[in-house]
Amino acid sequence: MQEYISVSALNSYIEGLLEGDLFLRNFWLKGELSGFKLYQQSGHMYFTLKDADSAISCVMFKSRARLLDFKPGDGMEVLVRGAVSLFARQGKYQLYAEEMLPFGAGDLYLQLEKTKARLQALGYFDPEHKKPLPRVVNRLGIVTSQDGAALRDILKVVRERHARVNVVLVHSSVQGTEAPLEIARGIEILNGQDYVDLIIVGRGGGSLEDLMAFNSEEVVKAVYASHIPIISAVGHEVDFTLSDLAADIRAATPTQAAQLAVPDVAAIESALQSYEQRMQRALGKKLNYSSEMLDRIMMRRIWSQPAALLADRQKQIETLAKGLQQTIVSEMQTRQQRLALAATALDKLSPLKVLSRGYAIVSRAGVVIKDEEQVGIGELVDVILHQGSLQVRVESKEGTPWKP
Amino acid sequence: METMSFEEALRQLEDILSMLESGELELEQSLRLFQSGMELSVYCQQLLKEAEGRIQKLVQKPEGEVVLMELIMEEIE
Repeated sequence: MQEYISVSALNSYIEGLLEGDLFLRNFWLKGELSGFKLYQQSGHMYFTLKDADSAISCVMFKSRARLLDFKPGDGMEVLVRGAVSLFARQGKYQLYAEEMLPFGAGDLYLQLEKTKARLQALGYFDPEHKKPLPRVVNRLGIVTSQDGAALRDILKVVRERHARVNVVLVHSSVQGTEAPLEIARGIEILNGQDYVDLIIVGRGGGSLEDLMAFNSEEVVKAVYASHIPIISAVGHEVDFTLSDLAADIRAATPTQAAQLAVPDVAAIESALQSYEQRMQRALGKKLNYSSEMLDRIMMRRIWSQPAALLADRQKQIETLAKGLQQTIVSEMQTRQQRLALAATALDKLSPLKVLSRGYAIVSRAGVVIKDEEQVGIGELVDVILHQGSLQVRVESKEGTPWKP
Repeated sequence: METMSFEEALRQLEDILSMLESGELELEQSLRLFQSGMELSVYCQQLLKEAEGRIQKLVQKPEGEVVLMELIMEEIE
């Protein structure tokens, strides 16, 4: 009969070998990370380290993992210090990592940095190119996997906030070699059909390898070229992809994207109502003010007692008239006085008055005789007396001179 | 107004609101703007009600044709 041992015994033996080797207790290893997984609940990290020809399974427990000061990702070259031991249950040996350091740029990262720099220089991430999101989205386009968590998350928010938005999905794979082309084509189709007001492009969380499609040149170009605004929602909070940089808005998660995209209809409706109320109040104020002004004007006496105004005017006229009268009267009196004076003076000087004192006017043919030369002997002259007039013949020019 | 976008209508409404609240307009202007404002508000509310809430899938056939189909989702929770 062949000598045999149990599986457990064999594993135990191997374990003994491994743990007996001093070197395997503590060494530094360089390798490329792959299949990296961090379990949120336990905090443990599981990954594979590989080089061109080989690979080894690794685990880093929470107690050590939480001390890391960088975020490990697939494709990264790292240095790991640890020990090798046997995981008997699965019959495999593993590296139990104590420390991990980035070894400088891993392939994938290098590639990514190069692409990012190149596309940035070409202007694909320019802020000026970015469009604002529409305020009301009635038709929402989504480019993602039909089976993925992203779609479910988005639809959940849509339903909660605005059940009435029309959602149009273009299915595409979100990782793998076909993904970049499918994502880009999805965006282009939506742009060509003009079905939607806004596009969300994205996927749920994953490793750097998983998200690489959203770092591809095809996707960046399609996002940039979209005339419909695009929200890029790839992975989790800390994941940034080039599509995020090219998009009009980056959302940390698909849920957040939906919250940005889909307006809270109730909030907008209540804002509109408040606007209506404010307009009514403003108009009401204006009307009140105008009517108050009107009231104040109408309160003036002229409207309630128009006669009063007339009476005022009447009084004014009377006063003026009286004044005028008086002026005229006194004026007239003055004139009359002057006239009387003048008349008296005139009267005194009147030749007729002189006649009453005994003087006579001698005239011939209308000419008053003042000189004896003016008449000849035998001529007739008129003598005008105070009372009556005589026709007299000149007898001689030797009359008796006047002697009182 | 039939083809105005929601943004445009809302912007005009907000302009009208601030003019009315400034109190510097003539009474007649105030009345006219108030009327326009209310019309814009009604228009905006109409736009909000337009979408139907459908969920559809856009598919490009091999021949290049693009087709809209209903999307059956199980359990969107």
